[in-house]
Amino acid sequence: MSDMKPSVSSGRKFSAIWILPLVTLIVGVSIVFNSIMTEGPTITVNFDTANGLEVGKTKVRLLNVDIGLVEEVALKKDMSGVTATIKLEREAQSLLREDTRFWVVRARVGAGGVSGLGTILGGGYIEMAPGIGPEGMRAFVGLEEPPLTPLDAPGLRLSLFSQRAGSITTGDAVLYRGYKVGRVESLVFDTEKKLARYDIFIDAPFHELVGSATRFWDASGISLKASAEGFEVHTGSLDTILLGGVAFASPPGLSAGDQVQNGEEFQLYKSYDSILKNPYRHGMYYVVSFQQSIRGLVSGAPVEYRGIKVGRVERILMKELTMQGMTAAGSAIPILIYIEPGRMSLPDSLDSISAFKQIVESGIENGLRATLQTGNLLTGKQLISFDFFPDEVPAELGTFEQYTLIPSVETGVGRLENQVRVFMDTLNALPLETIVVEANTVLGDVDTAVVSLTATLNSVNRLLDNNDSKALPGDLVATLAELRSALAGLTPESKIYQSLGASVGSLNSTLESLDDLLRKLSIKPNTLLFPATPEPDLIPEVRTR
Amino acid sequence: MSDLPDEAQLTAASLNFASCHLCLKLVHVDQHFCTRCGSTMHLRKTRSIERTLALLFTACVVYIPANILPIMITDQLGQPIESTIIGGVVLLINMDSIAIAAVIFFASVMIPVSKLAMMFYLCWSVHMGPPATVRQRTVLYRITEFIGKWSMIDVFVVAILVALINLSNLLVIRPGAAAVAFAGVVIISMLAAESFDPRLMWDQRENNNE
Repeated sequence: MSDMKPSVSSGRKFSAIWILPLVTLIVGVSIVFNSIMTEGPTITVNFDTANGLEVGKTKVRLLNVDIGLVEEVALKKDMSGVTATIKLEREAQSLLREDTRFWVVRARVGAGGVSGLGTILGGGYIEMAPGIGPEGMRAFVGLEEPPLTPLDAPGLRLSLFSQRAGSITTGDAVLYRGYKVGRVESLVFDTEKKLARYDIFIDAPFHELVGSATRFWDASGISLKASAEGFEVHTGSLDTILLGGVAFASPPGLSAGDQVQNGEEFQLYKSYDSILKNPYRHGMYYVVSFQQSIRGLVSGAPVEYRGIKVGRVERILMKELTMQGMTAAGSAIPILIYIEPGRMSLPDSLDSISAFKQIVESGIENGLRATLQTGNLLTGKQLISFDFFPDEVPAELGTFEQYTLIPSVETGVGRLENQVRVFMDTLNALPLETIVVEANTVLGDVDTAVVSLTATLNSVNRLLDNNDSKALPGDLVATLAELRSALAGLTPESKIYQSLGASVGSLNSTLESLDDLLRKLSIKPNTLLFPATPEPDLIPEVRTR
Repeated sequence: MSDLPDEAQLTAASLNFASCHLCLKLVHVDQHFCTRCGSTMHLRKTRSIERTLALLFTACVVYIPANILPIMITDQLGQPIESTIIGGVVLLINMDSIAIAAVIFFASVMIPVSKLAMMFYLCWSVHMGPPATVRQRTVLYRITEFIGKWSMIDVFVVAILVALINLSNLLVIRPGAAAVAFAGVVIISMLAAESFDPRLMWDQRENNNE
């Protein structure tokens, strides 16, 4: 049967069809190999929450170009946040720098406007802002808020400190003469300084407008002022009325100052007016204390040097004094003052402060003293004045708490009052009453002398009526008669005696009233100068509707 | 050629006749060309098992990307959502559409995989399998023939969805790379079934009987 079989040519050992699986394998392997070779870096980004992050869906975008995809979102081990594992394109490798920032773009309605509306329907995505630091970073911490300005944008970053956080929020405008030149990037509360801190960014050409003497103020809202000239309304742009903003300018009469470095700190003033009142940036604190009543001295009262304003009264350190337990000891009352060297035509810089300290130190040696003076006689407002008293006892700078204490002398009404009181005390010490009593006694003696004289004259009369006496020559009789008549005028009933009595009486009453005056003066010496108009007691008013 | 074998064992091959591949005319094996249509004559399809195996391997290779790559990309408001075959099945199960999930699973996973497995088994059994399983093999072959028609269902689903759903930016469905790969798997496995000569299965038993 074998010869009957069809001839079968063996041909090639392998069929050409085997090329097919081989080609598919090669193609498949090369695709896999290619994708591994072109695989981009995998990075991790930590976020507070996974809000808006979806595995396999959330893209990473740079300028709205997809450059990566979230591959995994996992909770951190301590549950304090999430870690997103992101696969990036190969091209993104060079963008991963130390300060590259990531944040989730969501729909936000903020002061800066509405953003990310597209993410409401399409879902959020992660935006990336390439950094400028060294490359090679693979683990990042994502931002919760989108940064408003790219890191490498030309301009100036500054920090403003404010006593209270006003209506300014992130994204608000920074204005220069009403033109928007930057924005507020973040608002945080500095718990250490207990101040609100605004980080602002000023765009490139405008950052040159900021100098060390520049002042920033809250330009939010409307300021309304009523004065004799009428009403005055100050507003910024509509944006700042509704949303708030920060404006800056150099105070009138001051140059912009030196160029400012990134990150420098400035104070944020309440309003432009408060800058006009306090146009200087640098100043220093001193303490002066007075051993007298400081009635009429309030916070903000001027501190002058020979009539030139150099600073202001900051506050009265009563609390510190009490804390030291010195109120009971009758210590002088310490007053904190703030002195700005810029007011004395020194440059408004930190150097001037040390220079001014030197001036004060050498001034004290030459008799520079602080005094309390009445600024306004009508209202009794007091101010602190510095002047030279070369005759004063030498004194030195002391310390109170952490401040330097400048020695003081008492002058003005306080000094005058003291002098009057000293004078009155001396006057009071005189023994006026004993003198009057003694005078009275002397007059009494005179009285008795007169009575005894009358008796003597009576006996002389009787002697003269004697026969022996009648025998005396007639002119002697006449002389005696004249003498008698003269003596008769000195009796208590006589006019002379009576007028003498009246004189003594009026002297008595005069001395009594002088006594009264002296008592008053010793109680309240200033009645010599001021009419004693008693101050009406404060009666609490009942609030009526 | 003197005495004919009994009817059950009588085949064209045993009488040295081969069937033309094209017109099915029985021609004597000495003839190299069909006496009717002129096409080349072979007793059995040449290198049938080898070709089938090669195509089966190709199908297996192509089946990998068909499952890994997305078969369908849904652009929902600009956000593309890619879904693989298995991913779609899981999604449907999660949506409680068990019936549809089962259909997709059968059409896209069970049928191609079982077809490939059966073909491999048939190729192996032709050479090495025990002759007793000839009937079993016949049944398997029939099943492969039958299910082969249904294995394109997944490609059809994608094709219909792509054609039907195109709401510009709102919702667009695009075919993924896996759709092409899957179509390739189906086509290649069909070619493999085509190149397989079922007569080889029975030849074994007949040779044993001789």
